[in-house]
Amino acid sequence: MTIADPWDQRISAFLLSPSEFLATTTSESFLAEVLHELRNDKANDQLKVLLVSVLLEHPTILCPSSSVGEETAVELLSVFSNVPQKSIVLKCNIMLAITNVIICTSCLATHTKTAEDWLDLLFQTIQDTNDFRCGLSQQALRATACDCLREMETCNPGLLSQKLEALYLLKQQETTVLHQSYCMLYALGLKNAVRILAKQKDVTDLEFKSILGGNEGFAWKNSQLGLTSLPINMMVQVPCLPPGLDCKELKSIMSSLLDESYLLTPISQSALLRELVEVVAMVPGLSPTLFKSQLLRLFGTADVSLMHATLFMKDTFTDSLFTAEDENFLLKRLVGTAQHPLLRISEKLFYMECILHFPENRPISSSGEESLPVLVTPRLAASLHPTVFNDSATMLCRLNLLCLVHLEADEGEADKGIDYLFDHIMALLKIVDNDGSREVVVTSFRGLYIFLTHFNGVEQLSEKLIDRLCDMYSRHSRLAPNLIGLADRIQENLDDPVWSVKLLRGLQKSIMEMPPLQLTIHNLSWHLKILKRVAKEGQITQKNTIYLLLNVLINSNLCERGNWQVGNAVLAVCRNLLEHPSIDQMFIELADLLQYISVHYDDTDIKDHARFYYTLLTNLSWEKLTGLLVKGLDGGRAKERSHSAIIAESEGIASNLTVHKTNRHVLQLIKVHEKASQNSSENSESSQTMAEAENWLEVYQSQFQTPGFGSEVTLRYNLTHVKESDPLFDKVFTICLHFELKDSNYAKVSDIHVPCVFKDRKPPEVKVKLKPFQPYPTTLCISAIFTTQDGRSWHSRLPDVGVSFPEIFLPVPLPLNTSCESKEQVFDHIWEAAASGNPDKSAISLFCFKTGDESLATLIERHFQGYLITDHPTERLWKVLFFLPPMCHVLLKITQAEDAVQVSVATDNWELLPFVNSYLQNITDQRSTTVTDG
Amino acid sequence: MSIRALWVVSHEKGESGKVRFSRRFPTVEFRAKSLAGTQYVAIPEDRVIPQLLLTELGLVDADKPYVEVRDDCARQHRSPAVELRFNGPGGRTLWPVLTVTQGPLILACLPLVEAPPGPRPPLPSLASVSQGLALLSGLQDFLCGPGGKPEPDVQASRLAALPSVLLQVCPLGRPLDTPPPAGLVPAAVAPSPGGAQKQPAWKAGVHRGRAVVSVALTEKVRSMQYGKSSQQDIWDVYGMVMCKCEVEGVLPNVTVTLTLPPNGSPLQDILVHPCVTSLDASILTACSVDENDGSAFSGPYKFPFSPPLELFRLCSYTSQVPVPPILGSYQLKAEENHLKVNVVLKLHESVKNSFEYCEAHIPFFNQNLMGNVEVKVSSGQLEVSKEKNLLVWVLGQKFPKSREATLEGTVYFSGTVAGPTDPLCTGLTAYIKLYFRVPDLTLSGCSVDQHSVQVYSSAKPRIVTTRELVSSEYYIWNSTGDAPVSSGLMVL
Repeated sequence: MTIADPWDQRISAFLLSPSEFLATTTSESFLAEVLHELRNDKANDQLKVLLVSVLLEHPTILCPSSSVGEETAVELLSVFSNVPQKSIVLKCNIMLAITNVIICTSCLATHTKTAEDWLDLLFQTIQDTNDFRCGLSQQALRATACDCLREMETCNPGLLSQKLEALYLLKQQETTVLHQSYCMLYALGLKNAVRILAKQKDVTDLEFKSILGGNEGFAWKNSQLGLTSLPINMMVQVPCLPPGLDCKELKSIMSSLLDESYLLTPISQSALLRELVEVVAMVPGLSPTLFKSQLLRLFGTADVSLMHATLFMKDTFTDSLFTAEDENFLLKRLVGTAQHPLLRISEKLFYMECILHFPENRPISSSGEESLPVLVTPRLAASLHPTVFNDSATMLCRLNLLCLVHLEADEGEADKGIDYLFDHIMALLKIVDNDGSREVVVTSFRGLYIFLTHFNGVEQLSEKLIDRLCDMYSRHSRLAPNLIGLADRIQENLDDPVWSVKLLRGLQKSIMEMPPLQLTIHNLSWHLKILKRVAKEGQITQKNTIYLLLNVLINSNLCERGNWQVGNAVLAVCRNLLEHPSIDQMFIELADLLQYISVHYDDTDIKDHARFYYTLLTNLSWEKLTGLLVKGLDGGRAKERSHSAIIAESEGIASNLTVHKTNRHVLQLIKVHEKASQNSSENSESSQTMAEAENWLEVYQSQFQTPGFGSEVTLRYNLTHVKESDPLFDKVFTICLHFELKDSNYAKVSDIHVPCVFKDRKPPEVKVKLKPFQPYPTTLCISAIFTTQDGRSWHSRLPDVGVSFPEIFLPVPLPLNTSCESKEQVFDHIWEAAASGNPDKSAISLFCFKTGDESLATLIERHFQGYLITDHPTERLWKVLFFLPPMCHVLLKITQAEDAVQVSVATDNWELLPFVNSYLQNITDQRSTTVTDG
Repeated sequence: MSIRALWVVSHEKGESGKVRFSRRFPTVEFRAKSLAGTQYVAIPEDRVIPQLLLTELGLVDADKPYVEVRDDCARQHRSPAVELRFNGPGGRTLWPVLTVTQGPLILACLPLVEAPPGPRPPLPSLASVSQGLALLSGLQDFLCGPGGKPEPDVQASRLAALPSVLLQVCPLGRPLDTPPPAGLVPAAVAPSPGGAQKQPAWKAGVHRGRAVVSVALTEKVRSMQYGKSSQQDIWDVYGMVMCKCEVEGVLPNVTVTLTLPPNGSPLQDILVHPCVTSLDASILTACSVDENDGSAFSGPYKFPFSPPLELFRLCSYTSQVPVPPILGSYQLKAEENHLKVNVVLKLHESVKNSFEYCEAHIPFFNQNLMGNVEVKVSSGQLEVSKEKNLLVWVLGQKFPKSREATLEGTVYFSGTVAGPTDPLCTGLTAYIKLYFRVPDLTLSGCSVDQHSVQVYSSAKPRIVTTRELVSSEYYIWNSTGDAPVSSGLMVL
């Protein structure tokens, strides 16, 4: 399982976000790895099923071209043939994967050899009905093969059109649960064959008969029908065979399929019924009354897919199968099921949609819009009236339906109904007024919107609603955004925007009438939002708004407090007022207000803006003023953008203020490769000469008394753009890199700031200082916040950076000019201490390998150069010391024996041994190795 | 008739959503692309799916009172399908995403739109929609089981089993069946014997062992009682027949017959399980939305069927009964910091006075917690809930001989701690909710006679039939306060 776990993680990472996953590797290499592991005999089935899942879900990402697709399919096919008989689940999954790859990479559409072979193999599999010899478990394979063929036929209609006789026989023979698979495959093949024939000009009896008796190869040439084969309810003109063909055989086939449909699962039954309905619709010789025997069973069904198929039948055949009585009956059933206490909410919502799109025998209009069937009267729909006990979706759905019902109803009845709906809206608002939850508030406003879109013309009711809403607003100013939203939507979507204006005028009035105590800072921000919206309405006089604002500013401590946000919100109202058509009539008042702010408001920015507005107001004509302000909306270049109310609150300003997220990588860190010899310790200057010291070990150890001595590893990276980054990010500024560690072996890494990264310039170098608590390999997760040229801020993740074990190695931290002898002395002391088990965690180990083409000397030079303590090529002995912060040592004594190289390892932390071992294994490559723990 | 993708997303309060399972169907996607042409919208990566879904379902940013993308009043949340919008307003949308929410789990799938590119077609014109709904319902039953709330580890193991379940029921995006409901896997199943008789696809094998047929009839009664002339009381009954048939044979024939007493009002809105082989037209005629005429068919209702192996709902119905089983009155009088309470419950004479349990719950909202409770009951016991916001009147197994029980007294709200709030029950708007179960009774009078169950099979099966009446949404509103309207029927 140890091998499987990283796969687990990798595959779930891939499935969660292929783009992020492939940012660190290529699809090519990942695919190669997956295929390689699939051929690994030691990997278990469970892992292999997991591996196949990546091809099942994202074949086009892993096989970007049809040639790669074909190669992959061939690979999978060879894996498939080597999977043992008993691994059924794996076999089925590979089958599905091959089918996916072949269809999605267009191997099927372009009729490649692999697709052909695969079709042959699938067909052989479904013909091999003799699978009792292997037990029932093999049945799953045939079922999957049938579904694969069915999918191929769907994507390439007509492929099976010359094999109908063979398929029919297979279907007839099968008596196990699998007959459903054969039945569905046959029905689809039949439908497509009929459809292809119906597209031909003249069809003879012989041609017609031959489709049923076909037993030839796959019909590749039919692919021109392509994927355009829509279900017939979506076609403008249904293709039809000429009348007068001999349909006796087809009729008996259809009857037997219908008789056995009962044996299918409800979902498959509904699919079969739809296929058969299409066949009958295309063949004039077949009568829709064929379905009559099934109708009663279908009318009574509790299954949603079967009921839906029945409606499809109704839509297709109308009065040639359904009498007016049937229609009435079916509609009543629908109304009944739309509120049946035992059905699920989603089903009931669906049935209500079905009522609104009911396929009437004699529709008045056929626009595809929601329209009420003539038969749905207020009395019939009475039980569908919304109540406050309904869940949100049901309530809104019922409300919409009932609005339509009462809109159509006769006068007396309609009034009663509309009153009911109005009372219902009022009941909802009462709940909102009683501090209903956010969900209730949102639902109630949606209800209001539905009601108003239908009945805003009923003046008496819509005025009452305005009174109620304004009354509520005086108690719950938090409803401001909901009210503004409602006014906006009603104005947008109704021809007559009068209602919204009335509402806004009412809201303005109720703010004016509020006792001053209610104009707290918190409420004020809501009121300002409303007033800002009110100021947009040319038909509403604004003098009162200005008086109120001035009044509030003069009679409160707002100006002294100088809150920027409040000031800005006040200015936002003023800004809209500047654009108001009746500005001439309130010129003096507005000027007074702006001047008051510019003098008294204790915030420089607000003062400046108020003064600016004042200047605009007093110096520009209204036409120029509005022209200028409208321009402001477009934003222009980043330099001109500011976060203040010169520009109305808009998408632009919001996007300027928020940090955007990009899911793609923009930047990355690339390790700077340095030669080992350069890696001299930074502590070199720390002490001058200790040459004469008696005991070098003491000197060495005493250094660690200094806090922070030798505790850091500095890694150098270049900060560059990833290969394919958006041109938007070519120049980025003020980058802040933030580091997260996946483990707790290291101290937190502080953020790094970089002034800029330009794509066409030399990348800046970034030094990452790591402070290990435990010197184990780790991974750095990095994110960056930066600014693009247009002034927007972005947040983006960088690809993770792995820190490998050797990257944490430091040379022994002794002064630069320490002699070799002294170094060796330290080495020997540490070695001896480790060998004698001091400290406790010390350990000795041995690692052997054979030298290959590369001489030992080269190997040592390449990997140990900076860490060599002694170098005695003549004695064939090398001593190497790796220092690992905070205070771990790994010592190597390398000797060359006759046939192998021995590496004795000593360390004061045995937990490092596995890493040492894999490190040595790695650098000595695939030479044979043995390890003995000491 | 296919779905493009399927997700199971979990969402705990205050956390962002997490994809617990997902499956994409590339061949269906291939078709979607070709059908939609330039209007094709690719499915975003799983990483972003939870946020998109939760936004649409109004479950993001719980702390913010108004978020336009979430709360816009013109967004019509009245369909089983939602649209996922990405890249901000005006961006592209993915439609129709069907969703089912159960507790912290959200199941969602995206049916293929088999329509020419152009304006969005109506939902009922798409075959995949009902199939997607059926698949989601099946998945819901599979993941959550009959109880609806499985333990986390049980749910995790069911989620882990989803890939192999989908291999059977939806291998290439085309639903073939619904997943088997969890916990309902039958015990003794033998493989099909083979032979001329075709094995139904909904039956994995045949039953082996003792033949037993159990038929359980459960009726639920709902009621809203107001106790005033201006608002008419309402009540109704709905019933379901659950069957478990352990009978040998590939396609054994069983017939269950429901009968009503003479003068019983007809069963309405009958829905049957797909295994019912044939139906008499007269059975389906009665419909609750229709005006009733006395001449309607009133049984016997015969349901011939061939049973699946597992427990299933053979049929369901609704019924209009002349009287509610328990008629109640509830009166509150508010005085300073206390409420005078008066409750009378009357058991109708036609109802058997033998309950398994019967309780009346009297909750108090928007009040401080209860202090002194000086209340007397004529029958049963009164309990004050631990939370001090609810009185529970346990009536026990029997009403007194007079078939009438009363509760009278005063409840003081002397505490300083505020009790639970409810935006509906303010002022004197208050209710009592009744919970009861009466074994061996139906209100409609409907019954399944043991001898009327016919099984055409070699071995004589043991036949068990039961029936019960259970309360559901049974409210009695305070007649001195306003009560919310609960049905449009009484207005018109």
